[in-house]
Amino acid sequence: MKNRDFTFWLFLTPVILGLSLVVVIPFIYGLFYSFTDWNGIKATTFLGFENYIKLFQDEEFRAALWFTIKFSVASVILLNILGLILALLVTRKLKSSNFLRTIFFMPNLIGGLILGFIWQFIFVSVFDDIGTALGIEALSGWLSTTNTGFWGLVILTCWQMAGYIMIIYIAYLQNIPNELIEASQIDGASSWQRFRNITFPLVAPAFTISMFLTLSTSFKIYDQNLSLTNGGPYNSTQMVAMEIVKTAFNENQMAFAQAKGVIFFLIVAVIAITQVYYNKKREVDM
Amino acid sequence: MNKVYVKIAFALVVASILLAGCVSTGGESGVASEKITIEIVQGKVEFAKQFESLAESYEEENPGVDIKITSVGGGTDYLTSLKTRFSSGEEPEIFSIAGPSEAEQFRQYLTDLSDTDAADLALEGSLAGVTEGDEVLGLPFNQEGYGFIYNKNIFEQAGIDPNEIITYGDLENAVKTLDSKKEELGIEAVFAYPAKEKWVGGNHLSNVYLAPEFNHNVTEAYNADTVTFEKSDELKRVFDLQNEYSVQPTLSLDYSQQVEEYFSLQKVAIIQQGNWVYPSVQEMDPEFAANSIGILPIPVEGYEGSIPVGIPNYWAVNSNSDEEVIEVSKDFLDWMYTSETGKDYVLNEFNFIPAYEGYDTEKISDPLSQDIYDYASEGNTIGWVFAGYPSNAWGDILGANMQKYLSDEMTWEELIEDSIAKWEEPRQ
Repeated sequence: MKNRDFTFWLFLTPVILGLSLVVVIPFIYGLFYSFTDWNGIKATTFLGFENYIKLFQDEEFRAALWFTIKFSVASVILLNILGLILALLVTRKLKSSNFLRTIFFMPNLIGGLILGFIWQFIFVSVFDDIGTALGIEALSGWLSTTNTGFWGLVILTCWQMAGYIMIIYIAYLQNIPNELIEASQIDGASSWQRFRNITFPLVAPAFTISMFLTLSTSFKIYDQNLSLTNGGPYNSTQMVAMEIVKTAFNENQMAFAQAKGVIFFLIVAVIAITQVYYNKKREVDM
Repeated sequence: MNKVYVKIAFALVVASILLAGCVSTGGESGVASEKITIEIVQGKVEFAKQFESLAESYEEENPGVDIKITSVGGGTDYLTSLKTRFSSGEEPEIFSIAGPSEAEQFRQYLTDLSDTDAADLALEGSLAGVTEGDEVLGLPFNQEGYGFIYNKNIFEQAGIDPNEIITYGDLENAVKTLDSKKEELGIEAVFAYPAKEKWVGGNHLSNVYLAPEFNHNVTEAYNADTVTFEKSDELKRVFDLQNEYSVQPTLSLDYSQQVEEYFSLQKVAIIQQGNWVYPSVQEMDPEFAANSIGILPIPVEGYEGSIPVGIPNYWAVNSNSDEEVIEVSKDFLDWMYTSETGKDYVLNEFNFIPAYEGYDTEKISDPLSQDIYDYASEGNTIGWVFAGYPSNAWGDILGANMQKYLSDEMTWEELIEDSIAKWEEPRQ
């Protein structure tokens, strides 16, 4: 409490100012609009919870939410497996490990929109050509069905995010004390036993971090969704963020979309808060 | 101790930058008061550059006027940014709107333009979407039209005379002939139908078969409580035909593949699109674009040989400005469409199909626009009613239903039933 003097507030002012102008005030505005019939230009009547009641009856929103949950589960599992494998690969004493780290991390630096278009080309044209050349029918017609659209999105997300998750795992892998490894080697543990009983328990905290990180990212995906499938076919690969944007700007129901946004915020907030809570607990445990 | 001062100094610098942002906006409006500033926000990015140079010519002729143009990418993004401008109080003096639905949303900001010369010279019917009683609330940008764009070389090689394709039967026969000669013609398929783009089926194709029931009048469609799909069978057969003889799978085929990869590289013979594809085709293959493409009407029983022609965008003048500013805004729009300089720009720089009288239409530069202008001037047109579809993005809903139909998730009857219900929902 003592350090909250003039300088404390002086240093805080720019951040508070920025945060409230860009985040807090618009959020309060939005919350207010979600209770009205705002159409983007003017709000005439106060509707109370009508938008929120309508929202739970909206089949498209529920479908989008369900699709997002399925997508998140699939990508969280695959991402963590992939991230851990990559991390194990580059922490071996290979000559090329630094080079590989850079390569694996690189997709993360490309914007989601561009990635989506690149992968669209790969799925639609390259997959099809390979499929025709090798006679594998499963490679044709990607992104034209709900299933291929779903896996297309998962593959894209994994490819983009795996490098990032890898970095987190690397940090934990490098923190494993060498004595433990050496001791187990002397005791004659096989490399699988070593991984199962030493490495895995010690990188478990990384898993918690990565899980929540990937979970909240996959929930909020919009750009990849837009450029890869644009919700097609028949809006069946449309995720929540996209559905909200569509409600607002295509269907012109601003207030209704705002209500959806509030619900979406609550969901993401719960995930994020749980993450922070668990991380703190882990830190104490160690 | 020094470090603390450095940090305080830094914090002050940051704070002053933040504050500077506020100051500069205040200053700008002070300077601008000497001149009349006209801010234009418009949603057609394709001609943004040429439009800016037109505005410069106007500024040279009228030194007291300063024109600022903001062009925002097509479709939804434009409407979003326009709404943002209005709700933040930075209202433009002139802006573009697309049909009756947007006109209604911005109704309180629209000035009556019926006293302008351009409104007098606007082609018959071109003001239909924005007329309210005696008031004209917008001025048309240009005309656009669409149909089946075909490759003349391929047709010739296959021995098909495009002038003889009038009814649906003719079209079907031509398509079958083309399909049987695929190998010798060197094409992958007859059509490239982009089912991924909901608007191609949901807005454009459906418009041709729905326009007759609304008497080709966009306002009538805009006020209709329901839709009957009188010509549902015709819509189905043309849709099925395009899908069946298209490059597969159609559900992941998009606009750019359709126009650039397949049509411009002459891998397909026919695509359902409009004159707006011309610049893209030209970029891929200028010679092909100039000499070998033409447009055929989509066959509708009772309206054979007619092409849907309409006004995609209108100029609107903000009624919330000062009287003097409104007058200047009107003058600018008049000048653009009725002065010699303006006309020259409209035809040769914008590559527009003019929606006004008094143009030397021989000079329309691209063959598709010329064809469409000919259809329009002969009165062989079908209404452009999809701008009057319900505001729940009904065209997209129908387009999504068409995708369901293609994935066997929906029968055609269910498609019609659901689409009718979705039309009625927002119009109760």
